[in-house]
Amino acid sequence: MNITANEVLDAKGLACPMPIIRTKKAITNLEPGKVLEVKATDKGSTADIKAWAEGTGHQYLGTIVEDGVLKHYIRRASDHEIKAEKKFEHVIDLEELQQKIEANENVTVLDVREPAEYAFGHIADAINIPLGELDDRIDEIKSDKELFIICRTGSRSDLAAQKLTEKGMENVKNVVPGMSQWNGPVEKNN
Amino acid sequence: MANSKVAIIASNGGLFDAYKVFNIASAAAASDAEVGIFFTFEGLNLIHKEAHKNLPLPEGREHFAEGFKQANVPSIEELVQVAQEMDVKLIGCQMTMDVMNLDKDQFIDGIEVGGAATFIEFAKDANITLTF
Repeated sequence: MNITANEVLDAKGLACPMPIIRTKKAITNLEPGKVLEVKATDKGSTADIKAWAEGTGHQYLGTIVEDGVLKHYIRRASDHEIKAEKKFEHVIDLEELQQKIEANENVTVLDVREPAEYAFGHIADAINIPLGELDDRIDEIKSDKELFIICRTGSRSDLAAQKLTEKGMENVKNVVPGMSQWNGPVEKNN
Repeated sequence: MANSKVAIIASNGGLFDAYKVFNIASAAAASDAEVGIFFTFEGLNLIHKEAHKNLPLPEGREHFAEGFKQANVPSIEELVQVAQEMDVKLIGCQMTMDVMNLDKDQFIDGIEVGGAATFIEFAKDANITLTF
């Protein structure tokens, strides 16, 4: 699985509790919303990173194993996301979106999460453009279909929906709450 | 773990004891908890300038030294440093220091010295309290 992270921390060869301590330091230096990859060989680190993320409020995305090295992916939480008020008024809930997808309606799903979040599970055929890159990549979105914007909790997609509407796109809807509650099928990157 | 508090009493002075204390303390600090350790009786070895660099393995368990090396476990010196960097509060027990005829200069820099009441004051609203 090919996953893009904003920073890579090499904690290979380190024993407990050092992988966690290095992770803590690395994530403190990371911008909110960005993704950290932690390379570790400590077998306990998967459970530890998961528990640590839960306790500190950061988002554990997942772990892959490559050549005996564990690669953990964590996204630094941002206060903004937690506190942001949702302003975009055109919303659709997850069930309704799922029905449209199952009915093969002509819909486009735009996933504005970070590529690493997308890699560990996304709606089939969803386009991935992280919120931070939306301005530069707006041309990749076809505006003739209904566009459903999704993120993890509905905050980033709210901002994206506002942005695209300002740029003149119509038929834009924010999917609420987002992938954190999605029960439909997901695809993972290979 | 933010807004939570972990209070630890370290009252034994061997290498195993030191790992238990400093691993738990530094993991808690890395999880954003406020952490304080009260070193009393033999626990004072863990912050003694010289002693903490060469703590004894339990009798008959000396062969574990090799295992520590192979697992690349950090040294106690390193863990103490890590704990201090993350603002773990280290409190040496004044009464024990008096009994053992030790003074603050013989301990690593940055420790506080206090009595039981100092620890109790810190621990009174702790979420987790541990004794090693």
